[in-house]
Amino acid sequence: MHHAVVDRWSHGHSLLHARDARVKLLVLLVFLVALATARVSALTILAYSFLLAAAIAVARLPVGGVLLRACVVLPFTAVFACLSLLAGEGSRALALAVRSYLSAAAVLVLAGTTPLPEFLRGLESLGAPRFLVLVVQFLYRYLFVISEQAQHMRLAACSRGAARGPLGPDRARFRAASGAVAVLFARSYARAQAIHRAMLARGFEGRIRMLSAPRLTAADWLFLALGILISLAPLAGTP
Amino acid sequence: MHIPDGFLSPPVWLSLDVVSVLALGYVARRAQRGMEETRIPLLGVMGAFVFAAQMINFPVGVGTSGHLVGAALLAITLGPAAAAVVMTAILAIQALVFQDGGILALGANVMNMALAGVLAGYLPYHYWSAGRLRKPAIVLGGLLSVAAGAGLAVAELLLSGVRMPAAVLGVSAALFLLTGVLEGLITLAVVQGVEALNPGMIRQPSRTRAAVLGALALAAVLLAVGGVLAASQAPDVLESLAERLGIAPQARALLATPLADYEAQVFSSPWLRKAAAGLVGLGLIYGACVALGRLAARRKRG
Repeated sequence: MHHAVVDRWSHGHSLLHARDARVKLLVLLVFLVALATARVSALTILAYSFLLAAAIAVARLPVGGVLLRACVVLPFTAVFACLSLLAGEGSRALALAVRSYLSAAAVLVLAGTTPLPEFLRGLESLGAPRFLVLVVQFLYRYLFVISEQAQHMRLAACSRGAARGPLGPDRARFRAASGAVAVLFARSYARAQAIHRAMLARGFEGRIRMLSAPRLTAADWLFLALGILISLAPLAGTP
Repeated sequence: MHIPDGFLSPPVWLSLDVVSVLALGYVARRAQRGMEETRIPLLGVMGAFVFAAQMINFPVGVGTSGHLVGAALLAITLGPAAAAVVMTAILAIQALVFQDGGILALGANVMNMALAGVLAGYLPYHYWSAGRLRKPAIVLGGLLSVAAGAGLAVAELLLSGVRMPAAVLGVSAALFLLTGVLEGLITLAVVQGVEALNPGMIRQPSRTRAAVLGALALAAVLLAVGGVLAASQAPDVLESLAERLGIAPQARALLATPLADYEAQVFSSPWLRKAAAGLVGLGLIYGACVALGRLAARRKRG
């Protein structure tokens, strides 16, 4: 398994990449709240789409990639939009689709311009509990390691003839799958213990030290002010 | 079932964000107390394990397959508090990196899957972990964890004004039940497999009073869900129920009060008022959390 594409994007260079994670998070929250409370009309849809497009362009993210990845929300949205349509509420259906899609795209812009460790460090300095932040950090660090192990196990099983086919009843395949999950569980557990011992040997004392504390620059403050204003602006005129 | 942004109405997501953040603060402290801090890597790696385990397909009937959700399995192996922390971390990564679930709706998703889901998955095991009922209890845990999460999600959507006709509700209830039973069976099979490899990895529940409180809280939440589901069939009743429960109007009143003086001048448009109320709400949540954290830290030191 390859690293998440979003992770690769987040290591790019642009005006948005250079901003402090905390500032970007605050602007994203304002943007999401504005979007969540806005009355959906042609004007607001256009304005927010334009804002997002501008952000994507400034961040030099691949436009198609962002638009495609934001489609993840569409299956869920489509079900409820159809239900609303059937109930004769076309405007609500449209509002659901627009809000969920644009929100997902906005989150992608943040995730695509901020490496996760930097984001988590920002969260911690904003007051999120260190314990939780550390767990998220470890989860992300080992996500791809453990996933790769699962892929290896599946490959190994397939090469022994476990591939899908008419052979073997469901019951046997079910047992094989649960056995695989159990082995993966035990291996993950053992790996965690080994990781912990290695960390202790290197002097881990309950927190991760950073080389430098992030500091807000004038550009960050400017971005914060502008970001909030621009996020709220498209709607100031609407009733 | 991860709720994306844009589905829940502001009072619903705001109040759920508040409740989830407060509950998480408590749960995180419990998880830390119950173990050497050394288990941070363990929780992170087990979260990664759940992600990876979801890629392993379980055959169900003809041609279809399902996968593990994991809340009950984590609760049985790591204990409920640690499991809730791991599930929260999973939801956070899914929302941020994989666009699975919204950011404003994260509180709702945490409530559904990490708090209620884990608690529901754990309670049967807590009470019947010894003796003949152990296997049914594990299956029941898996079933309940899925059912609680899905039921809460549906109730939140209904409260937010998303329409779901009775037929759709019935079909989805049947689907959730099926998924739940499958989750229970997978959880049982995996627990047995892990036990065969290393019995020490399965936690024996400790007899604490907190479980009773948890059971009561869960029962209250599920009752409320049942009420919303029942009332959704009659919209008028739903409205009066929401009012009686005090969810919507209270949240609205709470948010509107600090802004009352300015409303006439600055916030003349209803949209601006709503957006401002949402933002002020977020600010209030943040302030309350920081204050509570400071208080807790001081008490610990004192």
